[in-house]
Amino acid sequence: MSNNDSSQRFIYTTQGVCPPEIHFKINKDIIEEIRFVGGGCPGNAQLVSRLLKGRSIKDVLDQLDGIDCRNQTSCPDQLARAIIASANGRLKPADSFRVHQDKGDYTKVGLIGELVGNHQTLAKVLAHLKDERVQAVYCLGNLTGRSADNAELLKFIRKQKLTAIQGALDWQLAQTEGTHNLPNLSPKNRDWLLQLPHVLDFQIQRKKAIAFFGDYLQQLPGFSDFEPFALEMNMVCGLTNFMQDETVFPALEAMIPQFQADIIIFSQARRWGHWQVGGKDFISVGPAQKKECLNWGLLNVEADAIHFETKEIAA
Amino acid sequence: MAESVKVLPDEIQAIIEVHEWDLRTREGVERFRELKAKSLPSVALDEELMYESLIPPQEELIAEIQRRFKEKNQGD
Repeated sequence: MSNNDSSQRFIYTTQGVCPPEIHFKINKDIIEEIRFVGGGCPGNAQLVSRLLKGRSIKDVLDQLDGIDCRNQTSCPDQLARAIIASANGRLKPADSFRVHQDKGDYTKVGLIGELVGNHQTLAKVLAHLKDERVQAVYCLGNLTGRSADNAELLKFIRKQKLTAIQGALDWQLAQTEGTHNLPNLSPKNRDWLLQLPHVLDFQIQRKKAIAFFGDYLQQLPGFSDFEPFALEMNMVCGLTNFMQDETVFPALEAMIPQFQADIIIFSQARRWGHWQVGGKDFISVGPAQKKECLNWGLLNVEADAIHFETKEIAA
Repeated sequence: MAESVKVLPDEIQAIIEVHEWDLRTREGVERFRELKAKSLPSVALDEELMYESLIPPQEELIAEIQRRFKEKNQGD
């Protein structure tokens, strides 16, 4: 995760080709990274990326010109359009993290912590969630794990159409390089993990809630302290060490009037917890399975009162 | 808090260097933790946390700065 100031990251939405997005980085006029995301021929796309890496925009554009594949365009043609758009300012640099806004109107939601590749845990937790009649279920990062059957879990999440955000481990697994010590994932699953939102923004009654995994987001290229919700992240991750340092709560309280969210949910601390500070609610989401126990969190807002409960099921 | 430092008389401004950190930023948070501060606003002199959650009276702040300045320049 480099954080070079002169390098800019772009996400281009393609038209007429298999991969729906092209992610690329440009440092001055040098291409630093290219990735065709979400479809297409992964081998060819990776080759193109490797061949173009480190070359100047001018060189690259000369080579990409006039290649046709389908719909009177091609992946190289789309890449050329993306690079031109970034150079003339029509394509703005991407935000460092993706925010997914759930526009539903809820009073009761279920929070699921790291599943680390265990689809059976998820199936059991979902069965329990049904009894509680929650209106939305959120999987809050580290869906994948180091040795578990990640592909099965990801398939299950997609089948169930669950809303999920990316965790630190998911981010690592989504990378095409430097993942040698991690379990193998298909290009499709890696792209799916890469495209996951980093932050979930939802409304529960009149309360605005955000959920994010943890401090790996602060290391993402281009992370700005002034992006929406960055303040909440900086206070949770950096200032309070995931609410574990209560001595700095007076400072937290002083910053809270600048928060956009009323409920701040995070998962990195790997333990369940709920704090109310300065009129805001902070929720730490623990792992979905711990020893012989399965856990999930029930967040319920009624008449502006926030209730949070950690539910426990025998594994 | 920074204002209380900025309005110090010129002869005091001449012997100090002022740094201000914004707690909204990662750099500000890091500095806040290094100084073991707990609340806002906070003032440290020579890396030592001196005032927390209060704006010191100007005379008190001036006296403390002068005391430290004299201490450092005793041998000169």
